[in-house]
Amino acid sequence: MNEFNNERPLIMHIDLNSCFATVEQQARPMLRGRPIAIINRMTEHTAIITASYEAKAKGVKVGMKFREAKALCPDIIALESDPSKYRYVYHRLLDIMKEYSAHVTMKSIDEGVIDFHNTTAEIQGRDLVEIGMEIKQRLKDEIGVWMRCNIGIATNRFLAKTAAGLHKPDGLDVITPANIHEVLGTMKMTDLTGIAHRNEKRLNSVGIFTPLEFLNTDVVTLQKIVFKSVVGRWWYDRLRGFEVDDVESDIKRVGRQYVLESFNLSQDEISQRLHHLCESVGSRMRSQHKSARGIYVYAKTLERGYWHASMMSQVPFSSDQTISLLARQLFEKAPDGLKEIGLHCYELEPIESQQVSFFNDQIVHERQVTGAVDGINNRFGERTIHSANTLGTGIYVKQKIPFGSTRYL
Amino acid sequence: MNDETFINEQIEVIAVFGGGHHPVKILKFKRPSGRVIEVTELGLRHPVSNGNKTIHMFDVTDGGADYRLEFDSERLTWHLTMEADHYERVQ
Repeated sequence: MNEFNNERPLIMHIDLNSCFATVEQQARPMLRGRPIAIINRMTEHTAIITASYEAKAKGVKVGMKFREAKALCPDIIALESDPSKYRYVYHRLLDIMKEYSAHVTMKSIDEGVIDFHNTTAEIQGRDLVEIGMEIKQRLKDEIGVWMRCNIGIATNRFLAKTAAGLHKPDGLDVITPANIHEVLGTMKMTDLTGIAHRNEKRLNSVGIFTPLEFLNTDVVTLQKIVFKSVVGRWWYDRLRGFEVDDVESDIKRVGRQYVLESFNLSQDEISQRLHHLCESVGSRMRSQHKSARGIYVYAKTLERGYWHASMMSQVPFSSDQTISLLARQLFEKAPDGLKEIGLHCYELEPIESQQVSFFNDQIVHERQVTGAVDGINNRFGERTIHSANTLGTGIYVKQKIPFGSTRYL
Repeated sequence: MNDETFINEQIEVIAVFGGGHHPVKILKFKRPSGRVIEVTELGLRHPVSNGNKTIHMFDVTDGGADYRLEFDSERLTWHLTMEADHYERVQ
């Protein structure tokens, strides 16, 4: 089979342009048209998480240290990220998208997909380009005039996302079998979502250097030689507009990391910050009604070293006390000279399904206390009750934007 | 590095509570110094929940500076919490 999917394109990918920077420019009109960078902490050593288009035009890139950005663009303005604003815009965008179809999937805080396959006949009867233009206008009317988004339309999620990236900012493109060769002909291998350097090397090793060559490679080569698995078949279908990415992944782990605000903290101070992370992970995990059996802690050192340790528990756990106890036990063997610490809990399972022994009073008691603490924090605000050990850490270890997942938004 | 000054001034506000996508339109506010700021544009209004309590954040401008106003929906009070009116240039 070397045919393209010829059905009507009914998948729309919507991507907010430089989302956090655009939202800040929307909120603060005096920043519009100026180069701005969003950072998580007000220091010059921190990495940029979003840059405005004006900053990008001067060579500023996401991930770059703010100090380097300043060298490229001296009048760049740094703003500390404000998650509540971005969360609000995320929910407004989601509300708009849901008016067109019940099948909406948010891929992250700034992008989502509308599947028009099973929507009403009235909506399906409309031109999707017209709907795309309407959504762009609604963003401006319902959130603010500075809001812009890229929209891509195609027969599958992969090509719709590719289409959304063709004309930034504020583009709207449709990829069909008629223009797929033309579109891929203008792209580099790593422009394709899912093709980073490792996959690029794999493809290069069999003489595939461009997306067009990738498209023209037969399925057997992709499956048996390049990817050596069913992944090759998926790529073959994906590039031809067949859907292979409409899958919901289950939550596999819950974690947090923290770059230390100072590199000469005492062991006690580091332990307090670790404890704070444990409380945050515990709260997130319980908000998803999950407990864990595994815990993994890691640390990065100033000499670019990476240390990690993990353990499995026979009994599932979800309380802050247990997570903290296990994490701190593991952390006793951590090296000195730390720059970053982190942990995640894995082997998750639903809290409801667990059997509690009649004789295990301690577990029952711990669950009741944790439930009461969560109830109070939900009602009166995050960290109304927390351990005394983390009393002074709140000003440092702030809640930031969870990239890649929309579970906690 | 940036131009924001964080403050906490209780202010008096004249606003119109209407309908539509932007149900609150702030017209002007008076600072404790007596200075009256005429609002020319609402940048963004977003709610922030802290437990059951909701504070509405209004980012507005008078065309010369940006301001953050916070409306406490429980106490019905307004505070000016941020102003930004100059831009640092790095030499």
